[in-house]
Amino acid sequence: MIEAHQLDRVFTALADAGRRGMVERLSMGPATVKQLAEPQGMRLPSALKHLKVLEDGGIVASRKVGRTRTYTIEPTALSGIDDWVRQRQAAMNQAFDRLVQAMKDFPEEGVND
Amino acid sequence: MTDVAHKTFVIERELPASPKHAFRFWSDQELKRAWNDCHPDWITLEDSFDFRVGGIEAKRWRMPDGSELAFRADYFDIVAGERIIYGFEMSHGGKRISASLATIQLLPEAGQTRMRFTEQLAFLGTAEAMAARITGTETGFDRLMDILARETASVH
Repeated sequence: MIEAHQLDRVFTALADAGRRGMVERLSMGPATVKQLAEPQGMRLPSALKHLKVLEDGGIVASRKVGRTRTYTIEPTALSGIDDWVRQRQAAMNQAFDRLVQAMKDFPEEGVND
Repeated sequence: MTDVAHKTFVIERELPASPKHAFRFWSDQELKRAWNDCHPDWITLEDSFDFRVGGIEAKRWRMPDGSELAFRADYFDIVAGERIIYGFEMSHGGKRISASLATIQLLPEAGQTRMRFTEQLAFLGTAEAMAARITGTETGFDRLMDILARETASVH
């Protein structure tokens, strides 16, 4: 289960075609602001604003090396963590199936017929 | 680089007995084993269970691939028949995978029990391991839309 406010941020972040283009570009590998701005026909300040929305949404991360800021897609936001949490949830659900069965196998004394 | 990602999930279940009886399946080592042990092909290396506030439950297994999996829980809060709160960590091959806070609530409901399990977890997997999962043939964007579609479908 993803938290609602997190979902809001993801939707907000992706509600713009330019930002979606940036995410698509970053899914192929890291890129600088300039490399992200140009294909979208954006000026740098505008691109930075959009990238901030994506960063706040936890969809991209940035790192500054020297004078260049490089953006990468945030794998935890999109995949790894969600898959992993789903696996754990599935494992817990299976355990609780066995719990229900165990409770039937070892019923409460005195309330059974 | 190691990232920490935080997640919370809740599982609710109807259990076929009173909260008092349901509690025993968490507090009694034998009864807990009846539903908690599920991997007959894992070799148990350690299995200790000290169910009291301040007590520790520690388990280690050798898995079929030879690697070691460890679980360690610290019980923080126990109210018989009502509530259990514990913190736990899991490690694989000596590397910690996650640390969590788990809350089990046993609520009486029509002579039975509604169990609410809440896990708040900090996932410590490496960014590399997670990144490897999205660099397949699909683009990240396709995957994102898949995930959003699934998430939206599951949020009622």
